[in-house]
Amino acid sequence: MARGDMARNDTARRDTARRGVRLHHPATPWLLLLPGLGVLAAFSLFPFLTTVHDAFTDARTLVPGQWVGLRNFRDMLHDEQFWVALRNSALYVVLVVPFTVLLPLLLALLVHKRLPGMGFFRSAFYTPVVASVVAVALIWSWMLDDRGLVNGILKALGAGPVSFLGDSWLLLISAMALTVWKGLGYYMVIYLAALANVPRELHEAAAVDGAGPLRRFASVTVPAVRSTMVLVGALSSVSAFKVFSEVFLLAGPTGGPAGEDTTLVMLVQRTGTGLDGRVGYASALSLVIFVIALLLMLLVLRAGRGGDAAERREERR
Amino acid sequence: MHPSRGVVRRTVRPAVPLLALALALSACGSDGGGGGGSSADGRIEGRITFQTWNLRAGYKDYFESLVKEFEEKYPDVTVKWQDQPAEHYADKLGADAAAGTLPDVVNVSPDLSYPLAKAGVLLNLDKEPVAAKFKGEYTAEAWRGNTLPGLDGAYAFPWYLTTGPLFYNKALFRDAGLDPEKPPRTYDELFGAAAELSRRSGGRTATLAGTPAIEDFGRYGVRLMDEDATRFTYNEPRGVELLTRYKRLHDEGGLDPQALTSTPEQAGRKFLEQKVAMNPGGANDLANFRKNAPSLYRNLGITDAPNNTGKPNMYVMGLAVNRNGKHKAAAIAFAHFVTDRKNQEAFAHRVAVFPSTKGSLDDPYWTKHDGTDEGRVRVASAKSLKGAVNYTPVVMSDEMKTILRNEVAKALQGKKSPKEALDDAVAQSDRLLRRK
Repeated sequence: MARGDMARNDTARRDTARRGVRLHHPATPWLLLLPGLGVLAAFSLFPFLTTVHDAFTDARTLVPGQWVGLRNFRDMLHDEQFWVALRNSALYVVLVVPFTVLLPLLLALLVHKRLPGMGFFRSAFYTPVVASVVAVALIWSWMLDDRGLVNGILKALGAGPVSFLGDSWLLLISAMALTVWKGLGYYMVIYLAALANVPRELHEAAAVDGAGPLRRFASVTVPAVRSTMVLVGALSSVSAFKVFSEVFLLAGPTGGPAGEDTTLVMLVQRTGTGLDGRVGYASALSLVIFVIALLLMLLVLRAGRGGDAAERREERR
Repeated sequence: MHPSRGVVRRTVRPAVPLLALALALSACGSDGGGGGGSSADGRIEGRITFQTWNLRAGYKDYFESLVKEFEEKYPDVTVKWQDQPAEHYADKLGADAAAGTLPDVVNVSPDLSYPLAKAGVLLNLDKEPVAAKFKGEYTAEAWRGNTLPGLDGAYAFPWYLTTGPLFYNKALFRDAGLDPEKPPRTYDELFGAAAELSRRSGGRTATLAGTPAIEDFGRYGVRLMDEDATRFTYNEPRGVELLTRYKRLHDEGGLDPQALTSTPEQAGRKFLEQKVAMNPGGANDLANFRKNAPSLYRNLGITDAPNNTGKPNMYVMGLAVNRNGKHKAAAIAFAHFVTDRKNQEAFAHRVAVFPSTKGSLDDPYWTKHDGTDEGRVRVASAKSLKGAVNYTPVVMSDEMKTILRNEVAKALQGKKSPKEALDDAVAQSDRLLRRK
């Protein structure tokens, strides 16, 4: 009986061991990854590869299209709207990114302090992030209207009405201001996390050495959150380059007066959608946006790494 | 052998026949545009899908009772009604058509049915005897409105028509010293009144909130396309003349400062806020004016849109039948049922639209005033519909409309001369047309 029990126990142990071996089969990690990879392949990789393929065809919404080689890219070079859109998207990066890197840091420094009621300000600054961009843009368009709140104030101050939504440059700058305002809270939270990791002793030591608030900001805070600044720079430059909603909602579907405020993503939307959409050309535009955004991100990250290396050299010296 | 390779081979081997089967099945689904589905003259039976365009919110009860009535008439048919919002309707149709899931009966306008018909997914009603026999029930203009150039036939049963008067603000007219009872009826009078409004108000009152669209060129008497719809011609001297006059109007302050970017909704809001003196609209707007702008409503004037051709503009809605549907006979029967005289008139009594069936507009409902403002607009619009045409060329895609709009804006801003702007718009649109 006891021998029989032992034999059964041995068999059970061997089964368990075998099951264990099975669990450690080389294919096991792949099987576990399969659901995630499946979703990634279906919703990211497949559309991406299709876009790359379509970029070299004359596909339309309802017509599969023929291989046309580089024709879409050649057309792009002669498309006046492409250059306008590229200029606007590039301007968006140049003018928006410095504000989205610096202003949230200053805001984070303000609300970082543990003072009564600070939670309210943190929530208030974060509110635009959770608000719908459509609702926000609508409110901004009312405020910036020729007879809106802003012009009302200007009129009360004796200044003439400013056509924020009728002039292409003012419209683009208004959209940039909206992007910065809406992104402040998001990047502020990232900075708050980074600031929490800055040792208080560093500030205290600098203060003992006679450094004022500005000096402490430049010599302690900025180096401490440098990698976060690079991250925010990379994230915001890519998202600024791909801007759509703010400009579309303020400037309208035509892209502002005479289409002068069209951005690259708006151009993709305009050319590639609808029953007669030029899917091939829109795919080629998307590919260009992808390559530029990738280069932009690599550039920002490289600039960040370059700064780190210089800092390390400085420390070694 | 590496164990993982074995796993891969074990996984892939059974998948090969499955993939082959999937490919074979997907090949079965596509008939290369030859038209699949059942016979149009077969039995009226099966489950069909009916799609409307942004009509559920206001008319749910009407469509549900319509479907019920049809199902009672044809007990072997089940109709699934679905409605799509106005935004991105064309994108939704495109996605459905590309995926082979276009509804059996679908609400379209001619500019939407053109690319669908060209892609071979809509039934040519003139070529299908079961559908063509109903042609005589609709007005010739409405049937023609659904006939597509180069595709030899009509691709949708004519449904409701819309047209609209031009609303004007009598108080603003009075303030400018203009006779509020004599609104402009021709383009000459319109530009004259606009100059006066702008001059007398010191530039504070604009006349219009939008820039000229393709139908304005049509109403002005400009030839929009050549006979076979292969080339745009709105850059002819008359088109340049219209744009030159608009440029003058813009320079004099007769156009709202945001006219270059405004959408029809924004233009409507400007009129509601009494910032502009005139705006096109429809009978539906009256309730909005009465509720949201009582002072405007008290001073509301209603006139016909300026016209140099004697033919007002109309917008045509239709019901198309999916050429590859599984139950074409039922789909044709249902599309005809929704658009027959009785049901069109019933629908037009609920909504401020007009029926496209022969003789409907002779009904006293559309010929005699009932003393209300709605009645006045209805009778005036119905009268103008006789002889009305759809000026918007069906081959003109949204992208081409945007091109025209942006070039018009450049001319108004003085960045290009009106001639240069229209020449450029035509050249760009023709280039797109050639590549279709």
